[in-house]
Amino acid sequence: MEEVSSIVVGALVLILGVVGLVLASGALDSEIYVFGLSLAGFAVVFEIGLIRAHYDRKDAARSGGAGHHV
Amino acid sequence: MSDVTMDTFAGAHAAPRAVVYNEKIVKKFIIAAMFWAIVAFLVGLVLALQLSWPAFNLGFSFTNFGRLRPVHTSGAIFAFGGSALFATSFHIVQRTCRARLFGGEALHNFIFWGYQFFIVMAALSYVMGYSQGQEYAEPEWHLDLFLTIVWVAYAIVFIGTVLMREEEHIYVANWFYMAFILTIAVLHLVNNAALPVSMYMAKSYSVYSGVQNALIQWWYGHNAVGFFLTAAFLGMMYYIIPKQAGRPIYSYRLSVVHFWSLVFMYIWAGPHHLHYTALPDWAQTLGMVFSVMLWMPSWGGMINGLMTLSGAWDKLRTDPALRFSVTAVGFYGMSTFEGPVMSIRSVNALAHYTDWVVGHVHSGALGWVAFISFGAIYYLVPVLWKRSGLYSTRLVAWHYWVATLGIVLYITALWVAGIMQGLMWRAYDQFGFLQYSFSESVNAVHPYYVIRALGGVFFLIGGLIMVYNLIMTVRSSTTEMRSSAAGA
Repeated sequence: MEEVSSIVVGALVLILGVVGLVLASGALDSEIYVFGLSLAGFAVVFEIGLIRAHYDRKDAARSGGAGHHV
Repeated sequence: MSDVTMDTFAGAHAAPRAVVYNEKIVKKFIIAAMFWAIVAFLVGLVLALQLSWPAFNLGFSFTNFGRLRPVHTSGAIFAFGGSALFATSFHIVQRTCRARLFGGEALHNFIFWGYQFFIVMAALSYVMGYSQGQEYAEPEWHLDLFLTIVWVAYAIVFIGTVLMREEEHIYVANWFYMAFILTIAVLHLVNNAALPVSMYMAKSYSVYSGVQNALIQWWYGHNAVGFFLTAAFLGMMYYIIPKQAGRPIYSYRLSVVHFWSLVFMYIWAGPHHLHYTALPDWAQTLGMVFSVMLWMPSWGGMINGLMTLSGAWDKLRTDPALRFSVTAVGFYGMSTFEGPVMSIRSVNALAHYTDWVVGHVHSGALGWVAFISFGAIYYLVPVLWKRSGLYSTRLVAWHYWVATLGIVLYITALWVAGIMQGLMWRAYDQFGFLQYSFSESVNAVHPYYVIRALGGVFFLIGGLIMVYNLIMTVRSSTTEMRSSAAGA
């Protein structure tokens, strides 16, 4: 479940990040520019968190203990 | 420190097995709730000071009253209240269904970070001057769409957990939370239907116009109160008070009647916000009648909450956290009495557009929503962080009395101010002219605005005491770790 969830959510957030960049690139006012860039930034940070969680789970499975991740 | 609680149980025909709850997500939302509580109370205090002394607007466009006001309301309702609801709903649905949250941690984290991102972006848009101009629905279309994605994820996780439950029965708290999730989704989608000027511009126009727009807006607005600030927090009440009191619900049957009658009646009450407007009289009357009928389910719920303490009233002396929860139910009863009274057309003629309405909203928001959340958070923090108890019950008692004093100052000042405003606005002299100018009514309420700000200071101080107490509960060596895991 965890891996499937990560892939599905990761794909969704990736799409959101691209949408953010598209909005920022064509923004006609400051609100859409700030929102678009922030959405892209949010997506990047979230994806990094997913990657980190993936390797934490692998480490935990290898050591037999619980992983520590955000 | 472990972030999970394992609950071992055996069904009627199954071997014992363990459920590993996701408590990390609950903890995150509790921390967020406390953070946003302080932000919302602080901005509220700044607004109260601005109303008393306009110099507090500071001369900047982004700190003026009009832009900060939605930061306060959204911060209190959606950031503080919403985070408290996410936390408690995720805790309660896992414990009462004996099932781990559905959907995987990635989805849970998306809900948490996505919701926090929405809050920050919405607040930023308000101070930058972007707003739909509709109360409690200020975010523009792009933020509405983002929130929709987060909300759908929330619905999937919550309803998925209920569907995957190991308990046959769906506990009544979960019914209240599901009504909240589904109804807020419908309200949000319908009220925010808008056409953007461009995909690359924040400005949009509602698909509704004129009185239809007003009706849809207040159907949304009043049911944001009914389903976000009432139904969902009742779900919280139906779990937390029995746990704190160590007693079952006084009448489970009454809780089910309470649920169905409340959700049926609330959805019709919105038009009472539009008395004496272009809305047809029959629609205004419909809203008024359903508002008055709401007395029954509201007080049924209040009685159920209070009577749950039967045989455990003595705990109010020793458990100030329970005192918060029970006082919250009292304020719930009071504000759900006051609301229907104010919805009666002839009373509304006096009350509408005055500060009586603001006082009424705050008796519900501070007395009911904030107090029931404080009670729940004081209960949950030692459970989730596996501590023996709170760092200081004395500080909880201080928080209780300081916050209660703040509410009393706030609502009594605005009762007096509001009724005085209404009376001054309708007063005629012997020649048939208005007796007072509007500015005279503004001058007359100034002392009460200062008292209201003082009430806000007290409430903020109470919140800071709570934050200190909770941080010490988690960090102090005096609240040593528990040896056994908490049960359902």
